[in-house]
Amino acid sequence: MSLVNFTTREITCKIVYYGPGRSGKTTNLQYVYDRVPGNRRGRMVSLATATDRTLFFDFLPLELGKISGFTTRFQLYTVPGQVYYDATRKLVLHGADGVVFVADSQARQLDENIESLQNLQMNLLEQGVDIRTLPLVIQYNKQGLPPELVLPVDELDDVLNFRSVPSFPADALNGKGVFETLRAVSELVLRKLSEDRA
Amino acid sequence: MSRTYSVEPWVVDPLKGFVAEADARMVLLMTPAGQVIAQYGFTRAVDVMAAAALGAAIVSAAGAVARMLDEPVFSALNHQGKQHGIFLAGFDTPRGRMVVLVVYGRESSPGLVQLFFEEFARELVAKCPEPEAPKPILAKDFERDLNETLNALFRA
Amino acid sequence: MTARLQRALGGVTRVRGVRGALIVAREDGLVVADALMEDIRGNAVAALAASLTRRIGEAARASGVGTPQFLHLEATGGALLAAAAGDEMLVVAVTEVGVNVGLVRLEMFRAAEAVQ
Repeated sequence: MSLVNFTTREITCKIVYYGPGRSGKTTNLQYVYDRVPGNRRGRMVSLATATDRTLFFDFLPLELGKISGFTTRFQLYTVPGQVYYDATRKLVLHGADGVVFVADSQARQLDENIESLQNLQMNLLEQGVDIRTLPLVIQYNKQGLPPELVLPVDELDDVLNFRSVPSFPADALNGKGVFETLRAVSELVLRKLSEDRA
Repeated sequence: MSRTYSVEPWVVDPLKGFVAEADARMVLLMTPAGQVIAQYGFTRAVDVMAAAALGAAIVSAAGAVARMLDEPVFSALNHQGKQHGIFLAGFDTPRGRMVVLVVYGRESSPGLVQLFFEEFARELVAKCPEPEAPKPILAKDFERDLNETLNALFRA
Repeated sequence: MTARLQRALGGVTRVRGVRGALIVAREDGLVVADALMEDIRGNAVAALAASLTRRIGEAARASGVGTPQFLHLEATGGALLAAAAGDEMLVVAVTEVGVNVGLVRLEMFRAAEAVQ
């Protein structure tokens, strides 16, 4: 849940990158970290295994600037994608203001994407959050791979995006679609914050 | 000189008292989701956020293990290093559960930190105001500001 | 182990005027064993006595008089006594006014030997 303080006029929001293992969640954060000016971001914290798979989470704090006189900060988290890390995924998801679902566009990963999206829905429900009310965007990552390996965006949309949330094709390794995705979820989160308190 | 910073003014005095009595080097008061409420001793807001994220993660992971063991939530956790120790503990207030992360050096001890933490928590609970009803926060310039800040950060 | 520590403290608390005794982990300021009257907050005494001993140790070393072996803090309502038990432990006693400090000190050193 976002923390809003009127005395110091600060807003802090939590955004979680969710998705199956090796879909590119950490790559998204790494790209943001590399491209955002140093005075607007903190250290990137990665709790990873010896083989660089996310063990608990990656974390990147970002300072957006002032919106309506409020200093606005975002905390970006990733979850570990592998199925057996569900307990830690639940912990990281706790209190999220918005979610980016990073799907792997490869045709052979379709089942993993579906399973991970269902897992997101279940874990949110366990925390009393209806996925339909949470700011959510979907990113179809790895669109830079050869066309014979990946599914086109409209096909992925048909299977994964039944709510018609904003979705973005991406090639996170080269930065394509990374900022567009983050910008979209930031806008949804802040807009929701504005509406909830109007 | 270290700075005490709080987004909730009622926290400042108890925090300063705790730092002095427990001889703490750094203190972070946060929500269980890692949102910072007050801090002492950290220099950059963004580093505070990283410490809060990690502290909240340790507490929530330990809490999850406790649940697996059918135990009530662990009241405090302590990790001692050669030069620094960290102490983590949670407590309930009228504004919900809060978590404290304390970094202490050789001039203090887990016993001192635990002792004064208990007083700190009691004082915070006593001073904690009732939760406020949500107020509108984003004014008419919301759209303009939102676009400007997002464009500046993401160089759209 | 616990029984041995409790026996060691028993010698101290048997002295008339002793209201409680503790074995304290020196670095941590945490209670290892205690035998206390009900109104004494063991964790507070342990934490503060360990902190005090550490500070006084620094003062003693800075003054060139070595490592403190025994601390006697006389207050209006009684006394706080602390004896080193090796490098890692302290034996601490809380007493009433007018206690036979020499006898308590002797028992505290015996307890210190027993816990090492």
